[in-house]
Amino acid sequence: MSTLQTAEVLQSPWEGRSCFGTGWHKLMMWVFIITDGLVFAGFLAAYGFLRMASPTWPDRSRIFHLEFIAVMTFILITSSATMACAVGAARLGRRARARQFILLTVLGGLAFLGMQAYEWTKLITAGASMSSNPWGPPLFGASFFTITGFHGAHVLSGVTLLSIVAIRLALGRTRAEGVELAGLYWHFVDLVWVFVFTLFYLV
Amino acid sequence: MSAYKNYWLTWLVLLFVTLGMIFVGTSSVSKWFLLPLLLAAMLVKAGLIGGNFMHLRKERLALVLIVTLGTLLVGVALFAGIAPDGARIFELSRH
Repeated sequence: MSTLQTAEVLQSPWEGRSCFGTGWHKLMMWVFIITDGLVFAGFLAAYGFLRMASPTWPDRSRIFHLEFIAVMTFILITSSATMACAVGAARLGRRARARQFILLTVLGGLAFLGMQAYEWTKLITAGASMSSNPWGPPLFGASFFTITGFHGAHVLSGVTLLSIVAIRLALGRTRAEGVELAGLYWHFVDLVWVFVFTLFYLV
Repeated sequence: MSAYKNYWLTWLVLLFVTLGMIFVGTSSVSKWFLLPLLLAAMLVKAGLIGGNFMHLRKERLALVLIVTLGTLLVGVALFAGIAPDGARIFELSRH
């Protein structure tokens, strides 16, 4: 690349639309979501391998209360709906309404985290750890704590991100696009839970 | 509230599909029938979240394909690559 071309690239404002018809910020969020999704795909593929290779696997009904996990799922789905409404409100220029919906989403995220902490505490108290558990294959504990822990960390990051967006929205420092990007991340967290819930708790 | 109608309709469908999955998952249905049913329901839910909440329906096809097929195919390819070894270990552990 010539010196002139390099200077042109460095001076480019990176504004306007990307080749996918989205803004650059949104495209970068999609790139992040894809890469993060691939990490979860790796975890779930490894989990599938462990299930196939293990002669026995603990009976989930003996360990989990499915009704409790169903409530967690319900909360996360509802928080995704409120986040979609927040994005819709922000696009319509209803900033106060958008903030209310974001705060509801944050509450949903906190409730989910609280319930996950309770579930973890119950399992740890029963003797489960990364290397052993009272129900049989030690890899059950490792895969459970790794997958749900990694997802929980994403929920915590999402709650933090949404809290910052809500504050910035109140101060008038975030545009509708900022809410949309935070929303994309939150829906991704919900999307991952759909896979975790089905493959870990139901199958 | 009409501006958010589509989102709440999606939420309702997601709720019913989830309840259906829990009902099927806890029933004494054969594993070979249960697995494809749950996987199909999982993909329907993922499609609803991606399409309606993440607005993928309104994005260009190239982006939609990269996001959906990209992640799904890599996940399936990863599993398909290591699954035979898993089955082999399972067979060895039985002898």
